[in-house]
Amino acid sequence: MAFNYDQYLRLEKMPTLWCWGCGDGVILKAFIRAIEKMGVKQDDVCVVSGIGCSGRFSSYVDFNTVHTTHGRTVAFATGIKMMHPDKIVVCVAGDGDALAIGGNHTIHGARRNIDMTLIIINNFIYGLTNSQTSPTTPQGMWTVTQKVGNIDPTFDACALGIASGASFVARETMLDPKKLEKIFVKAMEHRGFSFLDILSNCHINLGRKNKMVSAMDNLNWIDSITMPVKKYNELPEEEKLNILPTGILKEDTKVREYCDMYQDIIDAHQGKRSNITQDDFEKKI
Amino acid sequence: MADTREVISSGNHLAALAGADAGCRFMAGYPITPSSEVIEQMSDLLPKRGGSCIQMEDEIAAVAAAIGAGMAGHRTMTATSGPGISLKAENLGLAQMCEVPLVVVNVMRGGPSTGLPTRVSQGDVRQAKNPSHGDYRSITLCAGNLAECYTETVRAFNLADRFMQPVFVLLDETIGHMHGKAIIPTPEAVAAGVVPRKQFTGAPEDYHPYECESDQPAVLNKMFEGYRYHFTGLHHDKNGFPTEEIETCRKLIQRLEDKVMLHTDELELNEEFMLDDMTGEEGEVLIIAYGSVSLSAKEAIRHLRAAGIKAGLFRPLTLWPSPEKSIKKYTDLIKNVLCVELNIRQYTEEVERVSSRLDIEGLFKVNGRPISPYEIVSKVKEVF
Amino acid sequence: MITSGMIEFAGAPVWINRNTCKACDICVSVCPSGVLGMRYDSTSTLGAMISVDNPDACIGCNDCELNCPDFAIYVASKEDLASVGKKFAKLTDDAKERQEKIVKNNYMSLDLQGVK
Repeated sequence: MAFNYDQYLRLEKMPTLWCWGCGDGVILKAFIRAIEKMGVKQDDVCVVSGIGCSGRFSSYVDFNTVHTTHGRTVAFATGIKMMHPDKIVVCVAGDGDALAIGGNHTIHGARRNIDMTLIIINNFIYGLTNSQTSPTTPQGMWTVTQKVGNIDPTFDACALGIASGASFVARETMLDPKKLEKIFVKAMEHRGFSFLDILSNCHINLGRKNKMVSAMDNLNWIDSITMPVKKYNELPEEEKLNILPTGILKEDTKVREYCDMYQDIIDAHQGKRSNITQDDFEKKI
Repeated sequence: MADTREVISSGNHLAALAGADAGCRFMAGYPITPSSEVIEQMSDLLPKRGGSCIQMEDEIAAVAAAIGAGMAGHRTMTATSGPGISLKAENLGLAQMCEVPLVVVNVMRGGPSTGLPTRVSQGDVRQAKNPSHGDYRSITLCAGNLAECYTETVRAFNLADRFMQPVFVLLDETIGHMHGKAIIPTPEAVAAGVVPRKQFTGAPEDYHPYECESDQPAVLNKMFEGYRYHFTGLHHDKNGFPTEEIETCRKLIQRLEDKVMLHTDELELNEEFMLDDMTGEEGEVLIIAYGSVSLSAKEAIRHLRAAGIKAGLFRPLTLWPSPEKSIKKYTDLIKNVLCVELNIRQYTEEVERVSSRLDIEGLFKVNGRPISPYEIVSKVKEVF
Repeated sequence: MITSGMIEFAGAPVWINRNTCKACDICVSVCPSGVLGMRYDSTSTLGAMISVDNPDACIGCNDCELNCPDFAIYVASKEDLASVGKKFAKLTDDAKERQEKIVKNNYMSLDLQGVK
């Protein structure tokens, strides 16, 4: 057998409720393969998901799973992680969930550099609620809330992750499931906040009135707007506007993780070390 | 060996101490007047005991992190004031639906909206009954003096684990910031009284967290210990997975109601102050008050009695669900009833509903100042 | 109701799960070797179902399985295939040509018209 997914699936929940050709399924499979590669116990993994199509992710996998309110995945995961700093905590959220309503929590989870992996399944639209504009929907595309054309500017999620202080930031698409599996392994093994912008297709909601009616069309569009970061860096500035670089965009293994730093607070209170001062940090501001 | 001790402290500090002594090992909060001292204390108390206390980026994140820790199986709390409860409403509903134990301390201040941040009110009582949308039953306790800031918080943790849902502890700014002497149980006495949530001990494949008797709460095992299941705010089946099946959905919501309302005997706690000589004769006065107002009410009753007016106080410590039978017993017996609260009619309307009387008098104050005993004495003399 | 789950290896290099396939075309589009095609199927929700038309041309690249969102297609391991005396094929120009035709045929099997 090439790969046995059964062990990690809640088989009684299959088939998934996602649309035909939805990238969520490919991402789910890559995630499962990554967990298997890491060799961790299912009991040691917690998957927290938000609201949206990507929110259903957690109900299909056989780990400790939580389906929370819209936008609050990172906040719930923070409570779980702080009480269990040695477990693997993964947040799965959509672009609306993580970047719109949950923007604040995403920023601060990254700022704290708390050890968890945030998988943003970015399909450039609000899918589950049927085609409303999201913070990543390109201007000029058709959405139900802007039927004469979207005017809302987009922003670069990875730039937000980097600026907020995430110590591992990467972007991949579901076009190459093997690369996806590799990036999941790296992200989960990284001790710190791993911010993943995973571009996915939603031909049903984004594509249907934006000339990408089939899964293949949507995938081709994603292919056309992405490029590995090495090649991207060689592009002239004006061409960079419409390309998203993929690959690892930031990887800092030296910056301290939040739960590890909190252990210093516990130690200081228990008299095992002196108080924490500015001298303990390279960054003084 | 005495099981009480004497401390000099303030209400907020005692609420924090109670949490730490009752086994709370996680707190997430956000600064808001007049509750900030709770998290300030916990940020020292919890790490000392190996727990975690974190100031989150906003009120919503605070309750979310607290609920997350509760889902992972730990005693957890958060503290805030009125505006914070408003922000937390959606996630409080999630905790109700998922049946996650959580203690929420609300130190009430003038409202609505920004209101009077540094001044007292009891304006969140009605909100505590229904902070979030949908059908569920709130459990709300109210501390009426310094010591109760400690004992009611301890009780809240045990009730949260017993009923598997959030429990509100209402303080008000007066009691939260009141500083003085309190006689409270020792940490050993509190620890001996801790009743942790039920856990399933059979084989994981036989574990169905949400399959329980129709008047019992879910049995939610700790995370990471071999029992894997699903939490969701959607209507769910016995394993926690989303479902729309008609009977499953109906039974779930009915169980959220019945698990509380069919066990109000475990929740009810009242103080009946100078009511044992009431016979129902002319001239008797029943005062209903709670929280810091009850301190003034007791003083007023002493004055009234000295002036020959037979007055007594009925004080619920569990505000929601309301002590229907006990209230009705006294409102049936005594003709003159005065409700005194730092809001407009919020608990008075409950008294009216429960007593089926529309002639309940009220003394309401909403200007951010406490009610003095003199005001209560004057009001009684004026209306009765 | 368990409708997914590994269908046991029964000797073929690549096989499908009719219960979970949603006829999205992705596997057909990524196959380099013209192994797959969609067929009309009145019993499936989208009216179409994946069909393994040329199993012997399968080169074992696993792309179909990796890219299927619905656990609907499985590829044998080299060892499993060897245990029944088979090997994965090599990628031939004929196979590549056939794949191009299938894509042009709207991902339908070549003996069918390419409209869904």
